[in-house]
Amino acid sequence: MRSLATILSFWLLCLASAFGAEGGHDHLPLHAEELMKIGPLVVTNSMVMVWIVAAFVILIAQLATRNMKLIPSGLQNGVEWLIEGLYNFLEGILGAALVKKTFWFFATIFILILFTNWFGLLPGVGTVGIKLEGSGVDQHDIFRPFLRGGNADLNMTVAMSVTFAVLWFYWAIRENSLKGFFAHIFAPKGKFVGFILVPMILVFGFVGVLEVISILFRPVALSFRLYGNVYAGESILENIMLLFGTGNLGEWFGWIPVIPFYFLELLVGLIQALVFMLLTSVFLKLICDHGDHDHGDHGH
Amino acid sequence: MLPIFEILAAVPPAESEGVVGDISRSFKVYWPQLVSQFISFAIVIFLLKKFAFGPIQAMLDQRRERIAAGEEKLKRIEKQLADSEASTAAAIAKANEEALRLIAEAKQGAAAFAEQKTQEAIAQAQQILSKAEAAGNADRERISTELKREFGRLVAATTSQVTGKVLTADDQHRINEEALSKVGN
Repeated sequence: MRSLATILSFWLLCLASAFGAEGGHDHLPLHAEELMKIGPLVVTNSMVMVWIVAAFVILIAQLATRNMKLIPSGLQNGVEWLIEGLYNFLEGILGAALVKKTFWFFATIFILILFTNWFGLLPGVGTVGIKLEGSGVDQHDIFRPFLRGGNADLNMTVAMSVTFAVLWFYWAIRENSLKGFFAHIFAPKGKFVGFILVPMILVFGFVGVLEVISILFRPVALSFRLYGNVYAGESILENIMLLFGTGNLGEWFGWIPVIPFYFLELLVGLIQALVFMLLTSVFLKLICDHGDHDHGDHGH
Repeated sequence: MLPIFEILAAVPPAESEGVVGDISRSFKVYWPQLVSQFISFAIVIFLLKKFAFGPIQAMLDQRRERIAAGEEKLKRIEKQLADSEASTAAAIAKANEEALRLIAEAKQGAAAFAEQKTQEAIAQAQQILSKAEAAGNADRERISTELKREFGRLVAATTSQVTGKVLTADDQHRINEEALSKVGN
């Protein structure tokens, strides 16, 4: 009965999507589109998608923890499996002490990116919206979808990456102290005494400058990697649909060639969430690795 | 032509605003959008931390603590069991030793008791023998005395009959003494 309801909901969504699409869905723009303004703040369709995903995750978490049992089953078991698996995975990278302080962020990032990516594949996303009319309307952009893949908006991925960068500085300084933080980047690694110490300070100083450039570029790389992969996936799905969806046969069966790409996008959504979380956690581990720090201090 | 190429073709060849400006324009990364997205993300992450991961993590921490406490308890029970087994083994060994000592003592005691009883029996037997000997001697003495007396009486009676004379007490005593001295002891 539950499966039947799920299938029915899915087909209803597809139907709604089809009706919406009929209105005049034009193309997938490179950016998210504005739906409304709240004062100076802009509400975009990708932002709405992120809110829906957050509400979904909160709902699931609340349902799973509403009636907790000592021996978990059903939803509680699934949620515990996911969170505990993530925790153990991150503990392997960050260590027991650091993971306790930072798990909330990495878990949020992973779950949010994963479900935002997957929700972006649901029928209706990018196809249900309103048709813009009027004299001031750009003829290349006459359709305004209500929803857009959350990570297919560079603003969203930049917000995540910059938030991580700020937290990275905070955690790194808290773990190392300000002096230790700079020593970690610029100080020679290893034990150097006497004459060799001078060139080593120069070499590691230069390496430190490169490291600083690398640190500054990390948010850029993180945000463009995620955005690029998600946007490319959505573009592929849309273009395949348009390519095979024309003509009498295409109108009815144009959705068939897209199916393999949907599975691909499910995988890409998971991989990108994993990559983002892995990279951010590894960046944090690298700066908080006290083993290297100790060597650096001895080097002085 | 595919829509993406149409879009790219449709981008107006406006004067370049530099790399950052071009990226901002293409992807609409402007301050209002970016700040709105930052605020939205901050709210989302706060809500997820408070209402999604907070309760789950608290539950997992609680379970982890419970498991750790259980393991600690198990270790304590195992230690107690090992201690108990060791103390039981020690008690058994001690009891065994004690039992062996008691058996040895009992054996020694039994031997001493047997010896004592034997000695007592020997002493008693000797006492009985001495008593019997004394009684025998007394009987013999008594019988001897009676025999002597009877013999004296018989000698006196015989003498009186032979001689036809009434013997006086002195005569009888003298005849008895003579007869007894001849018979001997």
